[in-house]
Amino acid sequence: MTEAVFQETTAEPRTQAVPLAHLSLELGHLYMEDFEAGPKRLGEHFAEVRIWVDAVRASAARRSKRPRISTCFLIDDYFTRFSTPAELIPMVLKEAEKAGLVIDYLARESACAVADRVELAESVMHRLVESPPPGSYGSRPPVSRTGWLANGQRTPTMPAPALGGRAKGWEPPQETAARNHSIFMDVELWSEKDGRRLWSCPFLAAVWQLARLGLLRHLGQPVLMPREWQGGDFPPDWDRLDPLVKLTDTKAPFSAYRTCTLMPNRFLAVEDAVRLVLDQIDVDAGALQQVAERSAAEGMPVPAAVAQRATYVFYEEPGGSSEAGET
Amino acid sequence: MTAAPGQPARSVLACGEVRTCLLPSFQALDGRAAAQLLRLRADVHVRVSERPTTYVLSPEILTGVDCRLPTSNGSKVRAVGTVAARAALTEGRLLQSTAYFSLPAAGPDLRRPWGQYLVRPGLVEPFGKLPQQATAEGVLRGAGRGELDLGMIAEGLLSQLRRHALLDRGKPFKSSPTKLRWVARRTPEGERASLVNFTVAEGGLRTMELRLPEHIPAASAAGICEDLALHDWLLTSVQHMLDNSRLGAADGPSVVKALHPIVVHLLHLWMPRAHVDPALGHLWDVLEEKPGFSRQWENLSRRIRDRLALQAVAMPQQARSAQAEGRNPNHIQTGDKT
Repeated sequence: MTEAVFQETTAEPRTQAVPLAHLSLELGHLYMEDFEAGPKRLGEHFAEVRIWVDAVRASAARRSKRPRISTCFLIDDYFTRFSTPAELIPMVLKEAEKAGLVIDYLARESACAVADRVELAESVMHRLVESPPPGSYGSRPPVSRTGWLANGQRTPTMPAPALGGRAKGWEPPQETAARNHSIFMDVELWSEKDGRRLWSCPFLAAVWQLARLGLLRHLGQPVLMPREWQGGDFPPDWDRLDPLVKLTDTKAPFSAYRTCTLMPNRFLAVEDAVRLVLDQIDVDAGALQQVAERSAAEGMPVPAAVAQRATYVFYEEPGGSSEAGET
Repeated sequence: MTAAPGQPARSVLACGEVRTCLLPSFQALDGRAAAQLLRLRADVHVRVSERPTTYVLSPEILTGVDCRLPTSNGSKVRAVGTVAARAALTEGRLLQSTAYFSLPAAGPDLRRPWGQYLVRPGLVEPFGKLPQQATAEGVLRGAGRGELDLGMIAEGLLSQLRRHALLDRGKPFKSSPTKLRWVARRTPEGERASLVNFTVAEGGLRTMELRLPEHIPAASAAGICEDLALHDWLLTSVQHMLDNSRLGAADGPSVVKALHPIVVHLLHLWMPRAHVDPALGHLWDVLEEKPGFSRQWENLSRRIRDRLALQAVAMPQQARSAQAEGRNPNHIQTGDKT
């Protein structure tokens, strides 16, 4: 089509592009108790992670001669707050360095809920388009009014015997994309406490994946963009730390075509839930197209489905940490 | 025939349904309020256009479907994918919602992971081969039980908007909503888009068939259909109001009263092709030729203006004779009471 002479900017909104690396590599994900256990435990984690980092880099080198890989690390300040950035971050960086690792970008988990006054989790929640079970002909499913998201149809609720309803007996839940047999999963996206919404760990992790995949936008603008660390001490309060900080002078951007996350194997269930969520998010179409075109132009087209762009390495936790218990 | 995941599947058919109604509000909404009404998503811009008419278009929202396609010959074809829905408000007065989707010629025989459908918004894939003709006819006829129901999706969005807190739910005058079902058959690139059929049926139903070259997005087809639906609604509603006002028999203030809402709310809304993809603007030409949409509109508006002019001329006379008889002149202000 030829470009029109008359244009109105408010009539043709545009989606701004973000710089993209080939791979966003997350160097472990830890709960507060792991930090509490001290530098030694942290060091053991990073030593284990280092082995897999080398493997991932070797794998990326098969796709590109000069892979652009950025590394990131997420600290939970959303569910529990421990210590201060001033105390914790230098310890993390030091232990990573001892293992021969460099953390390029550091993020706070609460940034996945709200960053720069944008309610990221809320926006992503409104983008959920639930996978329709067979027989859905257009009646709009209750978009997670319940705060739960499943990969199929739940077990029907049984009529109370007091109401005189003849119990039909138990009916199994059904996974929509089941192959022969169902693996049904139902994920809690949030809970309400004292009128405040607490997003679940898998849901925030899904937002985190979208950020790393360069697929988050707010009114066409990129959100959760890294800010350069100016040096000096880290702040004494988590709220005063930028949501996403760039710690090194790496040329590899934070967001990437693909992500790889290295984490202890106890997180397997969480990440399976993350994939369930990612598989039902209607991502910004402009952002999606930009990533698809640019990755194809570099000869490494991304998988069509967003969830397929995320890979994982689940490793056995170094000696004794698994006894710390799951929370 | 089946496109590999990641490859944009070529569609052979696009279908939709437009619902058009008067915004339930005494006052027309200004651009800002309209944008607020149609902000279906907090993180996406509402499109606002102020020339040549104020036209506000919502972001699209998706509805997942997995059901049979409506077919005219009873063939049962399961299809999976997403239907896009959007809403538009013209001059803060006429509210429309459209649900639409595209269909490829064939699809895989098993359901893909849901994420693969979501990256192709507005595409619904049949299991196996698509019976094109039967599906096109089925869509125009309307969904049967358990079949993909575009009307339900469009109406769902419309009723959600009608309940919006911004609206006082007042009705400045009586009117009926209309629905327009459309199908667009894809033609090779290079061919010109054309209007094959536009049928005015009973009960506010309109049907429309298009031929649409491959490079023109289905959203543009939805746009021209919304434009035609809007102008057809105007013709239908104004004609209806004139019929009901018994213009021939009535006299005096009752004429003014009957014509008042048309002048205040509707006369300025006629603006064909205002926000239509330029590649599709010419589809209007056929309808201008026969039956002559704009011709009918000009005729209607001229009738209204002539009638009001006649009334204005008659008014001082009536007022004077009313005064002479000691009656109160009617409640219509004539401006020459002295």
